[in-house]
Amino acid sequence: MCKDLSKRFGEIEALQGLTLLVPRGTIFGLLGPNGAGKTTTIRLWLGLTEPSGGTAFVLGRRIPPREVLPQIGYMPQDVAVYGDLTVDENLALFGRLVGMTAESIEDRTEEVLELVDIATRRHHLVSTLSGGMRRRTSLAVALLHDPDLLLLDEPTVGVDPELRAAFWTYFRDLTRRGKTVVITTHYMEEAARCDRVALLHQGRLLAEGPPSVIKQRTRTGNLDEAFLALVRGEREPRG
Amino acid sequence: MNARRVLAVAQKSLSQFRHDKRTLVFVVGMPLLMVLAFGYTFGGQVHDVRTLVVNQDAGPMGARLVQNLTGDTLSLASYADVASARAEVEAGRAWAVLWFPANFTQDLLGRRAVLRLLLDGTSPPIAGAVLSSVRAAAQTAFAGTGGAAVLTLDSEYVYGSSDTRFIDSFAPGVIALAVLMVTTIFSVIVIVREKTGGMLERLFSTPLAPLELVLGHAAALSLIAVAQSAVILVATILLFQIQIVGNVALVFAVLLLFAVGNQGLGMVASAAARNELQAVQFIPLVLFPSLLLGGVFYPLEAIPGGLRPLAYLIPVTYANDAMRSVMLRGWGIGDVGIDIVVLAAYAIVALLAAAVFIRRQA
Repeated sequence: MCKDLSKRFGEIEALQGLTLLVPRGTIFGLLGPNGAGKTTTIRLWLGLTEPSGGTAFVLGRRIPPREVLPQIGYMPQDVAVYGDLTVDENLALFGRLVGMTAESIEDRTEEVLELVDIATRRHHLVSTLSGGMRRRTSLAVALLHDPDLLLLDEPTVGVDPELRAAFWTYFRDLTRRGKTVVITTHYMEEAARCDRVALLHQGRLLAEGPPSVIKQRTRTGNLDEAFLALVRGEREPRG
Repeated sequence: MNARRVLAVAQKSLSQFRHDKRTLVFVVGMPLLMVLAFGYTFGGQVHDVRTLVVNQDAGPMGARLVQNLTGDTLSLASYADVASARAEVEAGRAWAVLWFPANFTQDLLGRRAVLRLLLDGTSPPIAGAVLSSVRAAAQTAFAGTGGAAVLTLDSEYVYGSSDTRFIDSFAPGVIALAVLMVTTIFSVIVIVREKTGGMLERLFSTPLAPLELVLGHAAALSLIAVAQSAVILVATILLFQIQIVGNVALVFAVLLLFAVGNQGLGMVASAAARNELQAVQFIPLVLFPSLLLGGVFYPLEAIPGGLRPLAYLIPVTYANDAMRSVMLRGWGIGDVGIDIVVLAAYAIVALLAAAVFIRRQA
């Protein structure tokens, strides 16, 4: 999805020569602490910011990918739905912006609201909902048009464990239908459920591959330890 | 460019207004308040204007009109001859003389009567009050015989002169100012609000283009501006008996172009602002030059020569000129062609500029 991608904000190098390939039909985790470059990567893929160097491709198109945008579902880290619109109105707006018909919006709205478990609140103003419900509304917007690629920036923050499990089941279903799901997270135990993960640290790629392979390679028991081992290894190169 | 996306944004913007009851009250209330404030301050709801009646009419119609001069605007006194009544006005002891000639009733039945008025025109609000009272009385008194249409008011200004009432002359401008104020206030907030909530980025992660966003917002705000203009227009007609001799549709067309331009300009400021406080500071920057230099209260000819070119850079100058010409002079689209072209250019340039500024922000 990107080759030698860099992004600089003034003095800060948010991303330094990132090269990644996200296979279709997988759940792909972008992991790393705050400031690792996860969100920057997603914004670059969406064409929301210009790269300082390198190139990015999304669904086979070089960005900025205006014509592929309708096939992408995006859930930003901050809740980005209109508080002064109802849940329904938010879904209708974004559905229309990606070119859905009124009927398909109607059908899909019911489906995704059931999934994120806020169907009973569909006529409520988003500003009257709890923080968790707002995030679920934001996720519903991203899922509405059944996109080929989902870019979800910390989708499960503030979501209770039961619902989180339901989300993961749904994401897994999506990949079976050939959809690709990219998730950023700093929960390593969640990352372990991804097909492949990329570990980012200070804008650089530390490792990429299936979680089990990364653990094996670093001779660690979980991704947390793997991450720490890789960071240590980067500071004190072996040999 | 996709009309469906523009419509989606417009509808979203209107839904946001619909859910915001306080703003809805503001949308209707503020222009009404402006009209009332301007109308009563400048329109001069004057009382007890000493007016002398010289009724030499052989028939009953002169007396009938006088009977219909009700209310406390005029304080009437009868005089037998014009010369002594005129002397009272010249001496400043009366503001006006109504003189019904001997054949007034007969002429009226013949459908072309003339009522002679002697006026002290030094105070436009007072002269205006006399004229509007007489017009209103004639409308009621002669309802059966063709209304005020058959009556010509032959006004002679003893002092001063005026073709129109003061309020007549500035009502079109006040409507334009109200539209300016409301469109600027809303548009200046609209983009910065999207920006601070992270919504601008969210919107641009869909295929929505900056120009589509701008047009969508402009469409929604224009609808509101037109509705407001209608409220203002009806209010001025009902409260201050403003006469519109021109084409009302043309009046709205002028207002619409003006509103769209203001929205574009407001959205440019909104896109440049980092927060709502910065955005709001833009409002007086637009409002004060428009109030002072736009020709609404002072004619352009009264603006000092050095500043006058500035007046021609201010859109309200053209809106005011067009509105005044259409509403008061009854001019058609060809007569206000230059104003329309300038306002249309303003609208197009402002919208495009807004789209460019917003694209830079995203």
